[in-house]
Amino acid sequence: MPFDWLNPYHLQVASFILINVILGVSIYVTLATGQLSLGNAGFMSIGAYTSAILTTGHGVPMVAGIVSGSLLAGVSGILVGIPALRLSGVYLAIATLGFGEVVRVVFINWESLTGGAVGIAAIPQMGREILAALRDAGFSPESLGLQNNQFISLAVFVILSVTTLAVILFFLRLANSRVGRAYGAIRMDEAAAEATGIDTTYYKVLAFSQGALLSGLAGALYAHATSYVSPADFTYHRAVEILVFAVFGGSEHLLGPVFGAMFLTVIPEVLRFVNDYRHIIYGTLLVLMMVFRPQGVIDPPLLDRLSGREPAEGH
Amino acid sequence: MFAEQLINGITLGSIYAVVALGYTLVFGVLDIINMAHGEIFMFGAFVGMLIVTKVHSSLGIAFAGAIASTAAMGYLLERFALRPLRGKSGGSPLAPLISTIGVSIILENVAHKLFGAGNHLFETPFAEIRFDVGPVTVYLVQVVILAISILLMAGLSLWLRKTRAGKALRATAENLETAALMGVATNRIITATVVIASAMGGVAGVLVGMAFNYINNQMGLAMGLKGLAIIIFGGMGSVGGAMAGGLILGLSETLVVAYGSSGYRDAIAFVAIIVVLLIKPQGLFGQALPGTER
Repeated sequence: MPFDWLNPYHLQVASFILINVILGVSIYVTLATGQLSLGNAGFMSIGAYTSAILTTGHGVPMVAGIVSGSLLAGVSGILVGIPALRLSGVYLAIATLGFGEVVRVVFINWESLTGGAVGIAAIPQMGREILAALRDAGFSPESLGLQNNQFISLAVFVILSVTTLAVILFFLRLANSRVGRAYGAIRMDEAAAEATGIDTTYYKVLAFSQGALLSGLAGALYAHATSYVSPADFTYHRAVEILVFAVFGGSEHLLGPVFGAMFLTVIPEVLRFVNDYRHIIYGTLLVLMMVFRPQGVIDPPLLDRLSGREPAEGH
Repeated sequence: MFAEQLINGITLGSIYAVVALGYTLVFGVLDIINMAHGEIFMFGAFVGMLIVTKVHSSLGIAFAGAIASTAAMGYLLERFALRPLRGKSGGSPLAPLISTIGVSIILENVAHKLFGAGNHLFETPFAEIRFDVGPVTVYLVQVVILAISILLMAGLSLWLRKTRAGKALRATAENLETAALMGVATNRIITATVVIASAMGGVAGVLVGMAFNYINNQMGLAMGLKGLAIIIFGGMGSVGGAMAGGLILGLSETLVVAYGSSGYRDAIAFVAIIVVLLIKPQGLFGQALPGTER
């Protein structure tokens, strides 16, 4: 076989990295307006459960399931965001943390719909669905020199790569648009932004629901990559993990959380002994970063230096 | 039995109140939500459990041990996770929140490594002693818990209102810089606040062990989130609000479990804070806060 080096396990790790990158972007978008939301695990679960329930129970095609999951998460983002954005700082963080917990408790208790604490199994898996569709069309992975499980993992990886890349490009472009500038202005000084005519409530709710939609998308993709979801996947620890991506990587530039998500997902896999102490290391990282480099590893001056540009004035 | 449920609710509520006091003290002085408080509380419970069940000492020594160890943890928390962030120019107001979340993760997982994930039995010598007051059964444990909580809250209120150190603490809470100009050693007051708050967490840990008879390394998170809910409900930094909020939450949880569905018990606190934050963001007993006035 020409593709023996293509290890399904490595592809799976790569897929989790990509899902985490989307989650990192999702918390970045809300942070870009200076709002800390700890509800992203809750929105993620809404996306995951919606898509899982629609595709397993009601025969909805997977793409439609993923889109509905993301949209429903985005709409809940608007519904939570409008009232919650009257709050700021730690109040918002705790209210959104509370929202995530309420969602989780509802999913545990609404057994007829969600399977309770056991969760939902046998969710259609992206790779397998594609393989089945291609087989019907007369294609077999052997013709490419791939085994079935290699092909399945590769298909998941390719879909996630395309999605993640699209997300990153979209938000990189957004950063230099009218919307992105408005976000930045609100983050710097909300009162000044309002005084210059920026509709701060509109942009804050927009950022909040964009973050929620992205979390929902990541959740739906997660459901169809692992084919199993349970409330245990979306606890407080998940919310904190997403936060760590942004805090460690840096929350002043989109590439910060992207880097944070990649690095922090790879390290435990590369250094197996690290995995046992992963959470302790996360905790230590949070404290050390706040003490020594509160802006995260990647910040705009570093990016300027890396790209060989003169640092912009005023940084 | 409604009266018995009422007693259960008040017992639970008084423990919640003690936990919430730990949050509210730190918030009042530092404007920081100490996310590690729940885990410090959990360590207090474990130290108390080890002293009672492994060393077979009395409950008094268990309290002393829990207080000593959690006070030390409070000191370390302040020294290494909070003080380095203070006075840093341009620091985000979220930095201390994130830093204490870090400490909470460390503590929870250290407890996991030390004690494992399962439940540990917390035996109290007088767990089965009870009296019948008319048709109502009251357990001695409940009386002891209530007495300790009331003593603690009354002591704290007196200390805050009547002593020099309490006055310095209130001055620091009012305005850190002005207090420093008036000659208050604010750094010492801040350290003392975190240490006292943590020690109260330690007491609450032992109380929970006595009330529920089992403890585990997840209890810090569950109790911590409820403590947060209570201080938001009662008003951030308000000592009276923390007590009232604790009692209300304890009673409503007990009554929902008794007459409703037990599965949603843990959601009550959060539904309550979301509702309170939306209707009266400063909490039931709180002053209007600059961060919430919009």
